[in-house]
Amino acid sequence: MSSSPTSQAVEVTMPQMGVSVAEGTIVEWRKRVGDWVEADEPIVEISTDKVETEVPSPASGRVSEILVEAGSTVDVGTLLARIDAEARPGVAHADEGSEPEVPSSQFPVPSPGNGHGPPISPVVRRMADEHGVDLEQVEGSGRRGRVTKKDLLAFLGDKPDTRHQTPDTPAAEPALHSESPYREEEPAPAAGHQLSVMRRQIGEHMVRSIQTAAHCTTVVEADMSAIEAARGRLSYLPFVARATIAALREFPMLNATLEGDRLTVHDEVNLGIAVSLGDEGLIVPVVRNAHELSHEGLAARIKDLAERARSKKLTPDEVSGGTFTITNPGAFGALLATPIINQPQVAILDLEAVTKRPVVVGGDSIAIRPMTYLCMSWDHRALDGALAAQFLSAVRRHIEGWDG
Amino acid sequence: MPEMTYLSAISDGLREEMRHDESVFCMGEDIGAFGGAFKVTDGFIEEFGADRVWDTPLAENAIIGTAVGAAVEGLRPVCEMQFADFIACGFDQLVNVAAKMHYRQGLAVPMVVRLPSGGGFSGGPYHSQNPEAWFLQSPGLKVVAPSTAEDAKGLIASAIRDPNPVVYLEHKHLYRRVKGEVPEGRYEVPLGKVRVAREGTDLTVISYGAMVGIALEATDDLDGASVEVIDLRSLVPLDIEGILASVRKTSKVVVLHEATRSCGVGAEVCALIAQEAFEDLDGPVMRVTAPDVPIPFSPPLERAVLPQVDDVKEACRELLAY
Repeated sequence: MSSSPTSQAVEVTMPQMGVSVAEGTIVEWRKRVGDWVEADEPIVEISTDKVETEVPSPASGRVSEILVEAGSTVDVGTLLARIDAEARPGVAHADEGSEPEVPSSQFPVPSPGNGHGPPISPVVRRMADEHGVDLEQVEGSGRRGRVTKKDLLAFLGDKPDTRHQTPDTPAAEPALHSESPYREEEPAPAAGHQLSVMRRQIGEHMVRSIQTAAHCTTVVEADMSAIEAARGRLSYLPFVARATIAALREFPMLNATLEGDRLTVHDEVNLGIAVSLGDEGLIVPVVRNAHELSHEGLAARIKDLAERARSKKLTPDEVSGGTFTITNPGAFGALLATPIINQPQVAILDLEAVTKRPVVVGGDSIAIRPMTYLCMSWDHRALDGALAAQFLSAVRRHIEGWDG
Repeated sequence: MPEMTYLSAISDGLREEMRHDESVFCMGEDIGAFGGAFKVTDGFIEEFGADRVWDTPLAENAIIGTAVGAAVEGLRPVCEMQFADFIACGFDQLVNVAAKMHYRQGLAVPMVVRLPSGGGFSGGPYHSQNPEAWFLQSPGLKVVAPSTAEDAKGLIASAIRDPNPVVYLEHKHLYRRVKGEVPEGRYEVPLGKVRVAREGTDLTVISYGAMVGIALEATDDLDGASVEVIDLRSLVPLDIEGILASVRKTSKVVVLHEATRSCGVGAEVCALIAQEAFEDLDGPVMRVTAPDVPIPFSPPLERAVLPQVDDVKEACRELLAY
């Protein structure tokens, strides 16, 4: 390459790339007329039959003339362009190269002469798009001639930033930390009192059972004469429990638990016995493996569990795992009841008061007998009324035919 | 309205809440008979008695742990750390117990931990720190940092009444230097709302605590530029909309704080702006902070570490010229 400075212009010519090369082709101009170019910055790309290369600018200045178009092949030494070496840097094109002076800025600055213009900030690019402004028409006052938001606003005649004028500004993101929803509880009303923990638990348990099971109650009447004769100082409960266990062995579908769609029929009978704790509530301890016990064994176990229930000495194991429950409020004289099933069991037997009633016996005779109603609530999801009636009849048979 | 120092505004707010609500009580080292290392609770033990103004052992984990228990039971404890730096000893109870209690058990923990923080008085590395960023990383805590006397009183009231644990950063350098008119009686400054300390159009300086005053001083007459100064007041929750509104207006932002740089409040604010206001930016978002070093004892070194008026001016000029 050779160049010949004139009073103000520096010439760019097709360089001699080798002794055997006589001509070269212009591949691409890196600068346009009016662009600022640094000394040694590539100004044009050329190719010969041996090599492709870039031609560095012989001087810093403004490109004043381009004489050979891209694609043309010319002889070595042909004048390609002129550079005005006395021009001052400034903006002619928005993407023009940098000022020669390295700005005393902490911001990253593209190395001089890479052909990139000063950056266009996001807000300027957006607003120029919104208003259809050609940024090359805007005088830049920022670093390296950058068009600032202020410059653009001035160019627009102080037309405002339209985006944030409209009221449909996007809603703010919620705060990263959410406000606690907790608020202090309302003070309890003056009248009434808070339910005890036990009452609330009983309540939750009962409501859940009512909402879960398809409750149905079947009643049979039983003659308690045989038990009355046999019971001595024992209550009716262990005898009825024994009769119930015997009936459960005949109809194991009642000795079952239903959880969701899963019915489990149990081999052993774990018999729950509801024990009243007076005003406090009710608890149902479980006689484990009740099928192994005689009525006397049952009586002893029930007595022990009831005593420990009232002195609050039951362990958690002793109030869980029941497979069938008997409730026995009959001592207080009630005649009938429809008990709520102890979930997830499928039935609960209610033993009501034993009262002397005239009943028809032995054909057409009337006799006075100690009678009771055996009321059983059962879950219609697990079984049907025929089975419930058969089961209750079996309980009655064992009661009426009690033989110790 | 009476004029008060930042310090007496904190005392006044605390006293008003204690008078109004018997569940509010104070605990901390030497806060009773001695009135506190900085005298925030001076006279409290005489007015409220030793049952509500507890002198505690030098055991920050015990102070905060006790406060958590009291708060869960419905009291509203206000703990003083003698210096914010000592919160490190109570960190576990604060970030693992207090902060997570509502998430895990649904229980409110309405407690406040007061942190006398900041440097500028040759207190050295154990008495000068600004540890707020630790608590931004602990979801469940709220964090406030007043810069004026009026906000100091209003924010202590809001912090006490809030059902969450609140870390209250009170800058020691402001205690007796900052004065202002403070409303009488009880009032709240809402958590999560910025204060526009000065309106402007060319550039926004976002700051909090002691650096708000530095920002105002540095940009009061900055080559005729119109500089907006935003006082965050509340670091958690951040007033995102308040921040973005200013960014949309000025498009140039300097974030300023006295705490160290990496992963600080400024980093969070910058990231928020970069994500939510990218197309409103007309220059890089800049930070002026302490470098990532401990605070030196030596006065000239401390001045070199903590952001000064000239540092803020330089950053603003740089960005204004961009």
